[in-house]
Amino acid sequence: MAQFLFARFWSGLMTLFCVAVIVFIIVRVIPGDAAMMLTGAGAGVVSEQELEAVRERLGINQPLPVQFVAWVGDFVRFDLGTSIRTGAPVADEIAARFPYTLQIAVMAMVIAVVLGVPAGVLAARFTGSWIDRLLQTLSVAGLAAPSFWVGLLIILSLVTFFRWSAPLFWEPFWVSPIQSITQLIWPAIAAGLRQLALIARMTRSIMLEVLGEDYIRTARAKGLSEARVIFRHGLTNGSLPIVTLIGFEFAALFGSLIITETVFNVPGLGQYVITAIMNRDYPAAQAVVLLLAGIVVIGNLLVDLIYGWLDPRMRLKGKPS
Amino acid sequence: MSTTVDAAPVSAMIPVATRTQKLGRLVLDYPLGAFGAVVLLIMVLAAIFAPLIAPYDPTVGDSTALFQPPSAQYLLGTDAFGRDILSRLIYGARISLMVGFGASTGGIVIGTTIGVLAGYLGGWFDTVSQRIMDALLAFPMLLLALAITSVLGPSLTNVIIALGLPIVPRAARIARASTMSLINTTFIEAARATGCSDTRIIFRHILPNTFAPLLVIATAYLGLAIVQEAALDYLGAGIQEPQSSWGLMMTGSATSLALTAPWIVIIPGLAICLAVLSSNFLGDAIRDALDPKLQRSLR
Amino acid sequence: MKVRELGLSGSLPRRSVLKAAAGALLGSAVLPSMAWAQAPVPGGTLRVSSGGDPPDFDLHQTTTYLTQHVGAPCYSTLMRVDPANPTQLLPDLAEKFEVSDDGLTVTFTLRQGVKFHDGTDLTVDDVIYSLNRVKAPPSGIVSPRRGLLGNIATIEPVGAAGLKITLSQPQPDFPLLVSNPFNVIYPKAVVEPLDAEGVGMKRKIVGTGAFKLGRSIDGQLYELERNEAYFGTPAHLDKIQFFPIRGEIERGVALQGERIDACFLFASEAVLTTLREAPGVTALRRPTPTFINLIPNVTQKPFDDVRVREALSLAIDRSAFIATVGPLAGAFYHSYGLLLPGSDYQLSTDEIREFAGYDTLPDAGGDIEANRARARELLKEAGVPEGFKVSLLARGDLPAFRDSSINVASQLNAIGFDASVDVRDAGAFATAENRGEFQLVVHSVAVSGSLPDQILGEGYTSFGGRNYGKWEDPSLDDLYRAQSREPDVEKRKALIRDFQLAFMKTFYHINLAWVGYGAAHSDRVKGWSALPDIYTNMQLDNVYLEG
Repeated sequence: MAQFLFARFWSGLMTLFCVAVIVFIIVRVIPGDAAMMLTGAGAGVVSEQELEAVRERLGINQPLPVQFVAWVGDFVRFDLGTSIRTGAPVADEIAARFPYTLQIAVMAMVIAVVLGVPAGVLAARFTGSWIDRLLQTLSVAGLAAPSFWVGLLIILSLVTFFRWSAPLFWEPFWVSPIQSITQLIWPAIAAGLRQLALIARMTRSIMLEVLGEDYIRTARAKGLSEARVIFRHGLTNGSLPIVTLIGFEFAALFGSLIITETVFNVPGLGQYVITAIMNRDYPAAQAVVLLLAGIVVIGNLLVDLIYGWLDPRMRLKGKPS
Repeated sequence: MSTTVDAAPVSAMIPVATRTQKLGRLVLDYPLGAFGAVVLLIMVLAAIFAPLIAPYDPTVGDSTALFQPPSAQYLLGTDAFGRDILSRLIYGARISLMVGFGASTGGIVIGTTIGVLAGYLGGWFDTVSQRIMDALLAFPMLLLALAITSVLGPSLTNVIIALGLPIVPRAARIARASTMSLINTTFIEAARATGCSDTRIIFRHILPNTFAPLLVIATAYLGLAIVQEAALDYLGAGIQEPQSSWGLMMTGSATSLALTAPWIVIIPGLAICLAVLSSNFLGDAIRDALDPKLQRSLR
Repeated sequence: MKVRELGLSGSLPRRSVLKAAAGALLGSAVLPSMAWAQAPVPGGTLRVSSGGDPPDFDLHQTTTYLTQHVGAPCYSTLMRVDPANPTQLLPDLAEKFEVSDDGLTVTFTLRQGVKFHDGTDLTVDDVIYSLNRVKAPPSGIVSPRRGLLGNIATIEPVGAAGLKITLSQPQPDFPLLVSNPFNVIYPKAVVEPLDAEGVGMKRKIVGTGAFKLGRSIDGQLYELERNEAYFGTPAHLDKIQFFPIRGEIERGVALQGERIDACFLFASEAVLTTLREAPGVTALRRPTPTFINLIPNVTQKPFDDVRVREALSLAIDRSAFIATVGPLAGAFYHSYGLLLPGSDYQLSTDEIREFAGYDTLPDAGGDIEANRARARELLKEAGVPEGFKVSLLARGDLPAFRDSSINVASQLNAIGFDASVDVRDAGAFATAENRGEFQLVVHSVAVSGSLPDQILGEGYTSFGGRNYGKWEDPSLDDLYRAQSREPDVEKRKALIRDFQLAFMKTFYHINLAWVGYGAAHSDRVKGWSALPDIYTNMQLDNVYLEG
């Protein structure tokens, strides 16, 4: 177990390091001089001397490896630099925006699990019936529909039928939880649709497999109620792969939120990173990209660890196969 | 997605069948897969012959026919610039399919090369390439693509590169796994023993065996790349106006007109859904047909 | 000492503009009644929505309303434009001004006891630094309106409260130029060190206006609070909130649902039509001194060649442009020449027809196919190959930029270009444009005021801040100065005509249409009147909410 822990932890750390290198390379390749960008001035308006001063202030006159080490060092200490676009510390801006993104992700995942798992169980129980077909069709459609289009359609229908308009001010969760949840419900639905479909499909196929096992037949033969068979024996045994999927999908959800937030105008991390990339605001862009990729790496690591902890076979082996 | 759980491989059941019969049987066994294949084929043909099929020039608007509802003259109506939506849809298919096929093919070719080499060579190449692949996997696909187009600038080629790159690690992972599972099998050892060169082993023995799973993920990423391309366009980081693409058709003034002319936004979204759906169906069918064991568990 | 009333012929002739407008607009541009009769109700929060976050807060450096609308209530100018008569000036930081008989010096008398939001006193030095900053910005600072103050020779203090501005030549329009709503006065002590860093006032608002910046949450909210230490009559409103909402539909729905009280800039005619029919909402479209110009970057080949620029002009069917972009961006209007539609300076149809491509304006009788054939010939002569790739830089948040570019790109393709539109965020667009990193840009140039010097000085001189194409032509600048100093109305008219005729044949700017921006507000909003441009009268200190 200790060996497994260490191996997973080490590879996660190495992956994070590679992620940092890739972010650094992409950002430093962005055409144009960051110093020029910071002054926002036309060519020839700023003298070479002044540009040099700005470069020195930013530390971008140093060799690249030195810059990289300095940047990683700052990042570890949560010193993420200052946004070129707003002039505010990037760490503060991320802190202000991350709660919205996290909340949408959690809400989307809750919706996906609460609806997806029962739908999958239902479809597996009545496999081949019209319920199964309907749920299968819906899940296939859910996987095919682009989330931003779903978001657009949601907004259009809400506006057309309910004269709904997007909230002007998105209340933070800790200020007014209920209002915050009602405000973010639509983006959460738009973002969670894909995960809902995935979880429903996955649950269905896992349950089909589990329900075909011998011990289920035994349980049925013993005369246990159908509900007890499915929930006690079926779902418990099928939970491990479902939990794993939920874990991976939760981490991946942060990536798909960037477009949902843009569609709904939610001031979360996704909208922030898009604005940062579009405006070549490289301190902000690199911090958020690294953060989002880090969430995925750490999320996957946690899923692996939980999987290893839950699955006795894994505990004995050194590495996941 | 056949309904008979125990369907044995088609070829085993009818050993002497003509090609047409085989095809007919495939269509019967995998109706959704056949549907997907046909829809994709129609889209590909429409894209290739766009200049012949499209009733109007997709970039030139008629200033006397602004956002018209669907009619006999404009089958799907016109957009805010008086451009025929059907023609823009047909030309948009070009972009979507070029990006879809380009990114998934490119990503899979490069990913397979890396994966097979990593699995075959092992050692430091394996370690280093796997770390890089893992790191690339950590980036949300759209975010990585967005960062790359902002570095390279928005253009068709760059969008293909940007959406192909996230596919590389995913393909590499699968290619590596199948290579690893093959490398210690007896027939590879036998090939080695008879003095086959590494290149020959890779091309004759390993690559053909990785083909099936890669074909399955190719269809999956075809759909994903189409969606992500539309998302890039929607964000303004992809194809540029006045060219037509499905994502572009849903942005800008299209949205400010959507209340009075909702078809402007709905139609391109449906096109994306249809394309993705078709590639998913096709992928499912290929997977089922190639791997009966998977069919049993992952229907 | 008399406060001189400016005898201006440039005030907006509403009737003739409307004639040029689409029929749908008729009756819409009526000024809302200014409810001075009622006693203003103090208190309340005015909720405004604009189309996005202000890219920054530095009014001197910006050209976007996103910045100016948030900044205007917080800052003061020397004099301010009279909302009842936009050609007249009212006191603001200056109590009065005096123009010498030779027209060469203008002396302002500053109000005493004015304090900035940070508690420091306003001094003459602050005014001098601010005006100089606009006229000749320090290194690293951009000044799009430097052309407006280009005629200033020196600025000197006169005692503690006087300011003497010496002009290089007489300029009757000068007092209005110096009081441009963007030419606000900054505290020198705050701005000077920031200028040295090359950032300027992009991140702070420290002014003398009736409001001061409270909370600002990027992507969510910009909240202004009443400045209790304001030198004038305190504002009626407690707060003004600006909510950035990109979608025009969403803004319209929010207004109808009474979630916001006003939106001072709408482009889409479809949205405005809905709002006109909505109860309790006043929606109007104001003809504004805003012109959509196709601007080639003459420092990049092949646009240094006048034949290529002429071909660009020949490619555009202006009537089709207006018919298409009109409903999307409010670009319903057209002008014969460089000045406001229907103004005294408008060229005749015969005159405008002489310039390549302008004969496609409504009623000018041109033939677009013949024009495009001629354009192809010109391109061939200039050695521009068929399928030559050009990129049009466009700003994404306003249809007047984005949709104009899309239309222009497809029209340029009709003469053999391979044109595409590069859409950017407001901030990134401005950066690229100021740096000259573009081939072509379609810019919707929104000017404050419709006087010849306001439009020509800012838009059509080589030293003007809107010279995005970086052309240089001293003879044009001389022609501009010649009309600028002419006190005689008739003589000046002739000189302005000369300038227009000379400028238009260079095709440095290719005029496509004029824009009338829309605005809408709840009927509860009183004390605000729509003026002929989108920047004036945005201080909002007289605005109050009824009921």
